[in-house]
Parts: sequence; structure tokens; C-alpha cells
Amino acid sequence: MDSNRPIFIPVILGTTRQGRMSEHVANFITAEVAKRDGVETELIDIRRLDLPASGESDDVKDAGFSEQMMRADALVIVTPEYNHGYPGSLKRALDTCLKEYIHKAVGICGVSAGPFGGTRVIQDLLPVMRELGLVTIFWDGNFGNVQNLFDSSGKLLDEAYIRRIDKFLKELIWMAKVLRYGRDNVPLE
Amino acid sequence: MQNNEKLVCPNCKVEMNFHAMKIDYTQVTGKTESVDHEFGGILEEFHSCPKCGMTATREEKKAA
Repeated sequence: MDSNRPIFIPVILGTTRQGRMSEHVANFITAEVAKRDGVETELIDIRRLDLPASGESDDVKDAGFSEQMMRADALVIVTPEYNHGYPGSLKRALDTCLKEYIHKAVGICGVSAGPFGGTRVIQDLLPVMRELGLVTIFWDGNFGNVQNLFDSSGKLLDEAYIRRIDKFLKELIWMAKVLRYGRDNVPLE
Repeated sequence: MQNNEKLVCPNCKVEMNFHAMKIDYTQVTGKTESVDHEFGGILEEFHSCPKCGMTATREEKKAA
């Protein structure tokens, strides 16, 4: 087993809207992941994916996105909460892959203008993650009142989030390592 | 019925690890001969390369 290959944890920015505040969150998370030794990351902006409005699976895959998901050991999904749900564009992007996700870890960061930090959208995404074969961790990122958390340049104004995301990422990286070991070494039976 | 032959990673030429299985309901109309009627879909195996992490799939071998 090539245990030396770095853990790869891309961060998916799960909205295409103009003026999205989730972009600041995704940039912050990506920078925090990049600080970890032995971990590589990239920000994946679903606005940049080449996806048609309809069609299924292999027929409509964005090749670059598929390759990133194949390489990934874990994902961070940054999703806003729009009317208590997740953006259709995020679901559209996620649904173009399947085999790429199986037995990989995922952590979700919810973003909202209100005080609850996307807790409802996170709950709504959990069954989707399960059906995609992803394994959820039991830490979340909750970015409530997001309009007050960053300045106009995207600088984080509340340093408490650094410690919170540290705990979230430690759990995610642990799960990513365990699942990689399982995928590489533990047969189904 | 499990396939006995291990898949080999096309990139690294090493044996892949079979670590997951899922029922695929999406292709049952197009590949009726592959459907396992006890599960109502096609049983698909997932294999991972221990060297590069590539994932590959194949249908479970049906019992004769």
C-alpha cells in the first residue's frame, strides 16, 4: 500500500448564486485544510462545472470534477441554506458521480443568514450523503449570521471559528485515513 | 455469487481491493439480463487501487 500518498480533501462550494456568502466560508475552510501536514486540498466551485441541465451519470460528467472526486479521500461540502433546503445546483453536481464517492468521508458546513448556521440544510443532506456511499462525520460547521462573520474582503471576523473548524477537520481527517485503509486493505468479506 | 478474479488497476498494475457493493436500480430496463431478481436491481462491486486510489466497478457474477 502506498501509505505515503497525501490525503486529498477538496472543498466543494455548493452554490452558484451571485453574491453568495458561502464563498467566504469555502475559502476559509480551504485555507484551514491546507495548513495540515500530509493533506492536500482544492476549492471546487460548482459554478465552474460544465454540466448540462439534464441527463444522467456518466453521460453528463464533468471530467475534472469526476477526477477530483476519484482522487479525494474526503470531502468538505459548504452549502448555504436556501428556504431550509440545499441548492439544486449542488445536488445536480453531486449526482453526476457515484463510484467516486464510495466509502469516503464527508463533513458538511452549513451557511445561513439566520442564527442557526444551516443546521436544517445539513440534516437534509445527510440521507443524500448516505445514498451516495459517503460516510458522514459527527462534527458540522455552522456559519450562522454569515453576513457578520467576514469583512468585505473575506477576512474572518470571529476567531472562534478557527478552533471549531480545527475540531471538525481533525475528525474528518481521522475518518479519511481510516476509510482509505479500509478501501485499500479490508475486503468486503 | 462473488467474482474470484481480482481486478487489476489499469494505471498501477496492482490488484485492487473489493470493498463495497451497491444495488443499481437505474439500468434495470436496459440490462434486464443482469438484474438479480432477489434484489430487484443489478449488484455492482466497487474496487479500489491501494496504490493510486482509483475506483473501478463491475457487476457481480451471477450464479449459473
